[in-house]
Amino acid sequence: MAVASVLERLKVRIGVDRPATSATVEAGHLKRFAEAIGDPNPRWLEEAPPTFLVALAPASYHVPEAEEFGKGWLNGGNRFEYLEPVRVGDEITATTKLADAYEKSGSSGTLLFIIFETEFKNQHGRRVARLRGTAIRR
Amino acid sequence: MNLKVGDEIPELVKHPTTRQLVQYAGAQGDFYEIHYDQDYARSIGLPGVILHGLLKAGFLGQLVTDWLGDRGTLKTFEVSYRGLDVPGKPYRCRGKITKVDGRQVELEVWGEDEGGQRTTVGSATVEMAS
Repeated sequence: MAVASVLERLKVRIGVDRPATSATVEAGHLKRFAEAIGDPNPRWLEEAPPTFLVALAPASYHVPEAEEFGKGWLNGGNRFEYLEPVRVGDEITATTKLADAYEKSGSSGTLLFIIFETEFKNQHGRRVARLRGTAIRR
Repeated sequence: MNLKVGDEIPELVKHPTTRQLVQYAGAQGDFYEIHYDQDYARSIGLPGVILHGLLKAGFLGQLVTDWLGDRGTLKTFEVSYRGLDVPGKPYRCRGKITKVDGRQVELEVWGEDEGGQRTTVGSATVEMAS
């Protein structure tokens, strides 16, 4: 069945790190991000608000084979773990891997779940955060 | 600081607009069409454009950091998206303390649509400054 083969092909990717990407935390970007959320706290002119890391580096990657399943993507959830603050000028390196892939049946049919895990390090090589995200095909 | 299990934290009500979705798409760099293209959103069975899950997470993050201020540090923050939310409707963010263990405090957080349905549920752990 086509559905099974999508899952089989995704499973091959489990645990494989993507090449790391790096980005610098820019004051203008932080400001635009906080404005987009509508959070006026002046703290975010200097420091990254809780969800900012997703704007700095992709926390998932394109898996074309998954798009053979269902009609569209939904975000199922996100879990952030914070180890050190992220501030303007920090250079953050993100490494993402596909951590798991599975199917689940619900009231609206079968859904495909893909779990991504991303680790963020700063310019000193210290881990600043971890992120787990659930992408759903429906 | 006198935090008790069961205490609710001050709520935050947001009024997202389609304009804000475009603003957020640009700020995050998420240009998936379901957040700004009505025809595309409907073509895949959605009621129209919907809020980014991570925008709702951003609202709930603000709920927690507004309450916490500089009294402590956010350690973990987790959200699950259970329902769709559309622009033009109020989005009510709420939270409640579920555990106090010394300086470690856990909160349940959630976002409600106009009908009081919890479309986003999550939790946060914070470490209060000594």
